[in-house]
Amino acid sequence: MDILSHLTPMFFGLIAAGTLIGIIFGAIPGMTATMAVAVCLPLTYAFGLENGVALLLGLYVGGISGGMVPAVLLNIPGTPSSICTTFDGYPMAQKGEGERALKTGIVASIFGGLFSAAVLFFFAPVLADFAIKFSNVEKFLIILLALTVIASLCSNLLMGIFSGVLGVWLSLIGTYSIMEGGNGETRLMFDFMEYYLIDGFSLLPVLIGIFGLTTVLLDAETGFKGDSEHGRISLKGGKKFSFGVFKGQLTNLVRSSGIGTFVGMLPGVGGSAASVLAYSQEKNFSRDSSQMGKGAPQGIVSSEASNNALTGGALVPLLSLGIPGDSTTAILIGAFTLQGIQVGPLFIGNNMDTWYLIIIALVIANVLMFGIMYFAIRHIAKVIEVPKYILYPLIIMMCVVGAYAINYGIMFDVWTLLLFGVFGWVAHKIGLETVPLIIGFILGKSAEVYFVKSLESYGNYSIFFTKSPIAMFLWVLIAVSLAFAIYLNIRNRRQPEIES
Amino acid sequence: MESQWLSLFDVTIDFDQSHLFFPRIVTWILLILLAAILLTRYRLLVPGLKHAGRVLAGREGDFDRKRFFGTLALTTVYFYMMGVLSDVFPNTGYSFLICSIVFVFLLSLLYVGQLSRRLVVIIVLNALIAPAIAWYVLAQLFRITLP
Repeated sequence: MDILSHLTPMFFGLIAAGTLIGIIFGAIPGMTATMAVAVCLPLTYAFGLENGVALLLGLYVGGISGGMVPAVLLNIPGTPSSICTTFDGYPMAQKGEGERALKTGIVASIFGGLFSAAVLFFFAPVLADFAIKFSNVEKFLIILLALTVIASLCSNLLMGIFSGVLGVWLSLIGTYSIMEGGNGETRLMFDFMEYYLIDGFSLLPVLIGIFGLTTVLLDAETGFKGDSEHGRISLKGGKKFSFGVFKGQLTNLVRSSGIGTFVGMLPGVGGSAASVLAYSQEKNFSRDSSQMGKGAPQGIVSSEASNNALTGGALVPLLSLGIPGDSTTAILIGAFTLQGIQVGPLFIGNNMDTWYLIIIALVIANVLMFGIMYFAIRHIAKVIEVPKYILYPLIIMMCVVGAYAINYGIMFDVWTLLLFGVFGWVAHKIGLETVPLIIGFILGKSAEVYFVKSLESYGNYSIFFTKSPIAMFLWVLIAVSLAFAIYLNIRNRRQPEIES
Repeated sequence: MESQWLSLFDVTIDFDQSHLFFPRIVTWILLILLAAILLTRYRLLVPGLKHAGRVLAGREGDFDRKRFFGTLALTTVYFYMMGVLSDVFPNTGYSFLICSIVFVFLLSLLYVGQLSRRLVVIIVLNALIAPAIAWYVLAQLFRITLP
């Protein structure tokens, strides 16, 4: 019954505030759910874990859902996961069916969100129970598998792997912690850096820099050309929305939600992949796909159901294995760490109240997202007109608060934010992949501990292959993901040749 | 026979040097991957660098040097001044408040396209009100450490 004591007006108010702010962030092109969570993270310092997570989950769900607004009205996906919503949403808006398109997306979103929350509720504890039996060898291989899957789904396999390994390398800067069984010596730095980097780079300034400041720099170099230049389509008039649009769409809804949840579980794959996969499956399997791409509601249903289903799916590996499913859940790991909670196989069992509150918060966030967006869509649509010259200076200001407060007032963390903001910009320019880099950075230290402890215990490298059937199975999965990536790379190279 | 073969993979980790064991492996993998990338992309490397130089110098492309380098310069000065002023007003958040007002105002001016009297009023109000609210909510209500 402890759980009821947490269900306070504050809890519900924070979910509502998070969802609304998330929708606003998502609705502004270029600003993502990840950025919303990163920027609002400092607010959670003042709350307990439950209230802090309630706010962040609201931001997450709202941020993903808000992306459909500019996708439909401007033909620009507000977040990468809304990419396929543009295919049918914008043509519908051009025909005067903007409100119908948005409300179709909103209903599909709540279905996808609740579907994935159910999967999270039933599947994560089972996976966590299974993962408790893992030794250091299997834990290391799980991290290796996560990094391989992420790298294999990048546009360039070599760059993807390089980015992931670079993230691991960056995470190793600092002291080999005695708490983790290390010898307390520093590495990968010069002596004069020890004062600043004795504990390495803090996770949150790195994340805030790469997802906050980098976005501002990328937009600054274009001179904000996309800012308020697009002809916005009015929502007034046109064909009205009715729930009849979902007649015959149940299969599409369930399949797209399933795809979104599954893709969310794969570490680092991202919402755009979920959206594209669900859309292409609907195109392949539906009885009549001739209108898709020209303004068919079924396209919006598949895209929006899948991208909202991503939210619950991405929380499965986070809460059961301690591995973030996407960039936003990578920041959620920071929020848990901030409250002194380590996510992993033991998390659910040791924190049952928190676990139930996470599920409740996720469900309420989806319901509130539906309520806010369905009934106030005309007002929310105006958000896309807020100019960047007002927003971006405030984003940087909030980034400073997040970076500075993380270690209770260290100015070096603010400089880390700038350093990684510029690094993120350079990485974008030279083709480095941000998501594997970040996941590598988060998991790097754990990978070291599991790797070294395995070798200290068994004294032979072959243990990684021979420890258990699970270890062998994980190697099979690693090999399959690499083979799949090589196949995709070869196919992508051949494609232009065939087209030419 | 099998054990002899497996003994090839034996490893002993010296505790005094254990902090370098995993980083050395990762560094080698990183260098090998870097070499592989350079080998597969060496044809693109030099033209790419030349193109980047021309873009950054403003001789090619649509790169907005004023806004990009202006953002970098203002952000650097913002962070530096915040550190300096936090020694003058320790543990109050005043350094954050003062520097943020100036920073938000200047960056908004840098980003805005054509300036009008109405826009200046909006920018000034935004620069005064937003940092003040952030300072009050975070530092005063929630007791969050600010510079």
